[in-house]
Amino acid sequence: MPNGGPPPTEDKKLFNFYWFGLFMSEVDPKIFKEVQDMNRRGFIKVCGTMAVASMVDPSLFSHVLAQQQDGMFQAYKKALLVKADGTPLKEGDIKPHVNYIFFYPHTATPCYLINLDESVPPAEVKLRDGKSYRWMGGIGSKKSIVAYSAICAHQWSYPTPQYSFINYYPPHKPSDTTKKAGIIQCCAHLALYDPKQGGSIIDGPADFPLASVVLQEEGGLLYAVGVLGKDQFQQFFDNYRTELRQQYGSTAKARELVDKCTVAEVDKYVQAVVMC
Amino acid sequence: MLTRRDLLKSAGAGAVALGLSSQPVFSAAEKVVKMEALMPSPKGNRVVVCGGGWAGLTVAKYLKRENPNIEVVLIEQRPNFFSCPISNPWLANLVNLDFISHDYNQPAAKYGYRFVNDRIIAIERDKKRVYTTRGYIEYNYLVLTPGIRYNYAPWFGDNQELIRYTKLNFPAAYIPGSEHLALKRKIWAFEEGDFIITVPPGAYRCPPAPYERACMVAEVFKRNKVKGKVILLEPKEDIAPKGPGFRMAYDQVYLGLVEVVTKVSIREIDPIKKVIKTTAGDFKFADANIIPPQQAGELVWMADLIAKDKEGKPTGWADQDPLTFQAKADASVFLLGDVISPALGVAYPKSGHQANSQGKIVAKVIASRIAGKEIKPGSLMPENVCYSMVNGTPQEAIVISVNYEYNEKENKITPRPRTINDRSEALAKATYEWARAMYRDMFS
Repeated sequence: MPNGGPPPTEDKKLFNFYWFGLFMSEVDPKIFKEVQDMNRRGFIKVCGTMAVASMVDPSLFSHVLAQQQDGMFQAYKKALLVKADGTPLKEGDIKPHVNYIFFYPHTATPCYLINLDESVPPAEVKLRDGKSYRWMGGIGSKKSIVAYSAICAHQWSYPTPQYSFINYYPPHKPSDTTKKAGIIQCCAHLALYDPKQGGSIIDGPADFPLASVVLQEEGGLLYAVGVLGKDQFQQFFDNYRTELRQQYGSTAKARELVDKCTVAEVDKYVQAVVMC
Repeated sequence: MLTRRDLLKSAGAGAVALGLSSQPVFSAAEKVVKMEALMPSPKGNRVVVCGGGWAGLTVAKYLKRENPNIEVVLIEQRPNFFSCPISNPWLANLVNLDFISHDYNQPAAKYGYRFVNDRIIAIERDKKRVYTTRGYIEYNYLVLTPGIRYNYAPWFGDNQELIRYTKLNFPAAYIPGSEHLALKRKIWAFEEGDFIITVPPGAYRCPPAPYERACMVAEVFKRNKVKGKVILLEPKEDIAPKGPGFRMAYDQVYLGLVEVVTKVSIREIDPIKKVIKTTAGDFKFADANIIPPQQAGELVWMADLIAKDKEGKPTGWADQDPLTFQAKADASVFLLGDVISPALGVAYPKSGHQANSQGKIVAKVIASRIAGKEIKPGSLMPENVCYSMVNGTPQEAIVISVNYEYNEKENKITPRPRTINDRSEALAKATYEWARAMYRDMFS
């Protein structure tokens, strides 16, 4: 991964290059190493124009841009993942196959963080319309840590303080209904997503894969930097105005972008984790 | 003003409307000839969706989503939406009326389709016109989603007075309206004796609903310490689907409050003396929820699109292609939701989830056709998820979900059901989330 500070989210062009660096790091080990050896700011300086970047691999670059043009990647504030006591969350704090919740990029938009306990390589995530996008796989020393939006892409069920219908089912705890494990499943209508495949649809009624949260590790600290895939935030805010106003005081408050995310085990946040 | 009654009179077909014949009721009605257009002729492609239930609402929304240039008109006779799914928990006061009631304004405004709150009195397929009480609307494509109609004839013959009396005093509460409110009033006022629920023979709306209703009525009796019980008269070998789950609830939660009598064929119902004569003996009742046999809703009969058996008699259900839901007799008409016939080895349950799921398919099929493309039949298949509340204190539910696979070589549809018969509070919560999410899908 490129290192040396936060991605330049304020400057879209710079961020594109930063994102390009992230993307390359997963698809081309040789380039990855070059980028690793480089200070991030240095990298951006070197790749100061699109033309220079495209010299590295024009097809990759245009592919990344195309993704962005299609709205498949959205950069948000870079947010540090922290524990309940406010100290930074470290890779070792993330127990395998435990479902953790945090809120990103908005105060009210829930996400799941999962250590799948195995290396999770990049994957192509297919959409129903035939298009696809590239998911970068897990991060961390084992490349096993993944994060997804916890808003079901079907009809927007999400974990509330009262209950969560969309949950991760670890390998040792398959779903009673679908008998599948190692999945993210929503009990409302049995939409099934694959956390090892960028949130791809396994089964059920969802029209879109689960959007993934782009994580970045820097000096042992974990950050969320953006959302990849078709997020459901607009529908979420449209549909839950009343609930969000009750929980957060106002919808504006619920929409605020975060720069820090407290990570907690789901059952510490949710009263009833509904598995089915 | 021209009314449905006038038409019935003019066509001399009063009995027909009640399901005693296969003849189209309104297609030949003369009075509609004099009616004027309610809307100008379509400039582009206009899809008229008749029936604002689960299927119709879904088709209307997803058509606009597929192609905003398609003009979509949704005609519904009711001024607001009342959900049959979750109405059983509502009977036991587990949810309030707000939960299952919705307005048509929001989806029509948000998705940009036109909502016409009127009654349909005739359909002329040759002219591609739908007649409401205020005039006709022309269409390029017609979607008929009227749900079910009651067919009391097998139990009452053509005795209209007995049918009227039964509907008034022992309503089925299977079609939204006063019947549900009446049933709720009756079960909360019930004091003692046997309360009979008849499970209809043949296909009917929401197969597990009578069994869930038995639980919810028993819940009310339990709370009110009623000296009485619910008797389910079941024509099948045993209750199904989710039979074991319901049985466990009857035995463990409502022991002594629910009795199931299977393999019952009803011979005669005397609503005055409150006796049901069956092959398993006579059942006297203090009160009853008489759910009659059912057929496709009126509009399918009106459009003359009811399937016929080998002898040419109407089956009572729509004659549609099982993969595209297109009417076999008319490529510009689509028939879906509760109205459909079984085909290709599968009888889709007549459920809200199925109707919603089929609605999305039909929207894609029509939008593709308008775009000059055809969706490969069988590439889009419906699905079903059906929760049933089997305990009110604490609230617990069971669930069945079914995926369907189409085998092109064998031209056959195979259902893949998955059932959880062990009731749980988690599934009760999921029941409500299922409903909330469906309402979100259709209304907001």
